[in-house]
Amino acid sequence: MASENKRRWGFVIEVKRCIDCKACMVACQVENQVPLGKHRNWIGRIGPTGTFPILGLKFEPGNCMHCDNPPCERVCPTGATYQRDDGLVLVDYDKCIGCRYCMQACPYDARYVDHEHGYVDKCTFCVHRLDAGQPPACVETCVGGSRHFGDLNDPNSEVSKLLATRDHYVVYAEAGTEPKIFYIS
Amino acid sequence: MSDNEIKIGDTFHWDISRRQFLAMSAAAGALALGAIPFTQNSNAKPARAQNSRMPPTKFDREVFTLCEQCVWRCGLRAKVVNGKVYKLDGNPNHPHSNGMLCPRGQAGIASLYDPDRVQFPMVRAGDRGSGMWKRVTWKEALDYVAGKLQAFKQQFGPEAMVFSSTHNLSQVQFENLLRAYGSPNYGTQRSLCFNGMIIANLLTFGMQEPGRDYSGAQYIIYSGRNLAEAISNSETQDLIAAIDRGVRVVLLDPRFTKTASKATEWLPIKPGNDLAFYLALLHVLITENLYDKEFVKEHTLGFDDVAKAIKPYTPEWSASKCEIPAATIRRIAREFALASPHAFIHPGWRTSNFVNQFQAQRAMAIINAISGNWNQPGGFFAGAGEEGGGLGAIPQPPYPRVSALRLDGVPWKYPLVPLEIGVYQEMRDAILAEKPYPARGWFVHRQNPVASLPERKKTLQAFSKLDFIVTVDTTMNDTAWFSDVVLPEATYLERYDPLAIVGDGVFIRQPVVPALGESKSALWIFKELGTRLGLQDYFQYKDEEDYIRQQLVPLGISLEELKAKGHYRPPAHAAPNEELKFNTPSGKIELYSASLAKNNFAPVPVWQEPPAPPADQFYLLTGKVAQHTQFGTQNNKLLHELFPENVLWIHTKPAAERGIKNGDWVYAESAAGKIKIKAYVTEAIRPDCTFTTPGFGHLSKGNRVSYAQGASDSDIHLTYTDPASGGQALSQTFVKVYKA
Repeated sequence: MASENKRRWGFVIEVKRCIDCKACMVACQVENQVPLGKHRNWIGRIGPTGTFPILGLKFEPGNCMHCDNPPCERVCPTGATYQRDDGLVLVDYDKCIGCRYCMQACPYDARYVDHEHGYVDKCTFCVHRLDAGQPPACVETCVGGSRHFGDLNDPNSEVSKLLATRDHYVVYAEAGTEPKIFYIS
Repeated sequence: MSDNEIKIGDTFHWDISRRQFLAMSAAAGALALGAIPFTQNSNAKPARAQNSRMPPTKFDREVFTLCEQCVWRCGLRAKVVNGKVYKLDGNPNHPHSNGMLCPRGQAGIASLYDPDRVQFPMVRAGDRGSGMWKRVTWKEALDYVAGKLQAFKQQFGPEAMVFSSTHNLSQVQFENLLRAYGSPNYGTQRSLCFNGMIIANLLTFGMQEPGRDYSGAQYIIYSGRNLAEAISNSETQDLIAAIDRGVRVVLLDPRFTKTASKATEWLPIKPGNDLAFYLALLHVLITENLYDKEFVKEHTLGFDDVAKAIKPYTPEWSASKCEIPAATIRRIAREFALASPHAFIHPGWRTSNFVNQFQAQRAMAIINAISGNWNQPGGFFAGAGEEGGGLGAIPQPPYPRVSALRLDGVPWKYPLVPLEIGVYQEMRDAILAEKPYPARGWFVHRQNPVASLPERKKTLQAFSKLDFIVTVDTTMNDTAWFSDVVLPEATYLERYDPLAIVGDGVFIRQPVVPALGESKSALWIFKELGTRLGLQDYFQYKDEEDYIRQQLVPLGISLEELKAKGHYRPPAHAAPNEELKFNTPSGKIELYSASLAKNNFAPVPVWQEPPAPPADQFYLLTGKVAQHTQFGTQNNKLLHELFPENVLWIHTKPAAERGIKNGDWVYAESAAGKIKIKAYVTEAIRPDCTFTTPGFGHLSKGNRVSYAQGASDSDIHLTYTDPASGGQALSQTFVKVYKA
């Protein structure tokens, strides 16, 4: 268990490899029984930019960034949103009163209201699969091989190696949230 | 399910009765979101802790089977919880999925548990398309269909019955049924897709579609093939990996597709002019001696004829046609030659959808041939066929001789088109014209001619010429809606099919869960019909499992073993014969085709001027999106949510001239009719083109999600058939666009 505590889960996304097919969105919806009309992950679209025929188009997949400095946790009046030792930011549904302060605080718009149950929900990095030794559903099915997942604290993990060798950025770095999804452009 | 309320013998309206029932159950608080198990916890009290409402990580069982959300047949692992399919994952041991599924594959459970599925046999009880049906037993339905077929055969001959299907694993038994019955009239989707490609490859290489080695490729040219959106899972994976490795990818497409955004170089070619581009490529390669002389000498026939024919096709000439600068064409030819033999021009599917697409495909095949890329890393190879592959055959007597002409003109009008491929749109036109003879009935399996054929109005008129239409499908699609009998087929997650061969492996489709309602496998339906038609000797299998056991005999593996693993790789045979042999009349690659010459077609590629739209009109281009397959997935709630309706792409400038803003309703009008559709105003398309995605604008009220969503391209597509390949020239329709 000691080594468990040292884990720091994160995503590395190769923007160039995303084809915007949205398999990740369907996989997540089915795996996590996300209600129709809601999604825990997304594919941001930048473009088409330019004028014909000089054009650009880029896709930026995302989901909850499980920030090291999560604003959603700070504003939660009931302590429903909490951070695990391995860095996962989760919601205790029993404590959530559906006030949506966290939705206001999240710069990534990663949360939604589950109207059926009356609480706020979001990506868990598929914590149930992680705890069973499997990658998140969106990572497993990614047709373009854009989504990578692993332990940022393990220098030999795929994600650490990618970060060590490739230029990368995070979204809204200026917000100081220290997100754990890193993008390779 | 509402269907339980409808009893055998009841007459009901398929849409209204079900809506009323659903409304009642909603009032009673019993309605979940369809049957999709998203809300299986809906009555549970809020959980105390995060983990107590976590999705399951343990499953009742995991079943290896094959996807059928498109025809690529990826391997699946289906996870079952409480008797329901919970989640579908890619099978890492299947070469088409490599552990991944596309959005359509991931959404398979919403097709399985679609509340609009047809779950019992039905006979029409009102006018065609009225939605009035009577629920009947299987025995009644099968006796009725067999009685009709038998009566037509006796009165008019078996040719009075036409058959159509789409590429699928049970197709072999559908073909068995129609051939045993004795009808020559058979149509598949192929002439709407890629007759030009497969017939050009058959004539040149003696095979329908050569395989491509991406792992060793250094340079790839695509014509219209949009692998990022028209996903063929493993090939899409290969392409993205190749681009990541730095392979140069050149893409010809009038539209800036998602694939174009990934390519090294996107060339917005003028529609219909790919042939001009490839003729010039040939010109440069040959006049500058940039081809593999040894390979050409050893393995090809007719090089000198090609060399003579391509003399006029300079890059400068080509540029005036295809609107790609001459210098670019010259550079690409030289780059391609430099990378050869580790380079290929992808055969595409529907390259340039004009009647000249066949010659464009021939030119592409010839460039591949003279580059010497066969059996080279990064080149072409003989793809393993899907059929046979050392499987046991089901015994059957010879088929009756057929003397009647085929309605679709194969081979009397289309001598080069293989019988099993056909010319679908011509079959429809012959039914309508009642020439060379009237058809009486249409048997449709897994096809949707009302939606798929151009000029939908004509297809419905052709239906009115027929006494009898029977459709076998999983949902009440547009063709089922206008049929007389609908037989419910089990979905791919509930049935067996004949085995699938991929590469050196054998793969099984097997039921993950019992079939819903009374739906049955195609293997069962065809055998039952065959037996009733007195054709039982053609269906010598007891049931689906017996069928597969007979297929497995030569492999020495049991059905149970295969089911447990989902696949089997027989021990490797002796080293494959490396000698290059081609299944053409000469045994060589036929650059000059004597078969073409004999049938009065150009034996080497020559220029054929494509028609162009008048000044106030646009090319109408069509193509896929990653979230849908043809006409079959639009009612899937998970996919509908991601892509609910099609739109019409139009370039910013012509849109502004017409006062059209993004999201405005517009009409797109061709000589065949007009559709009302939302405009998508963008820079990402040539100003002389419009584009939309097929598969929308459904007429069937039985598909409550997709009904009337978007517009049908089939309403405005005109029917043009390439005389050489029988391919439908889907891009040869021109439209006016104006504000609605």
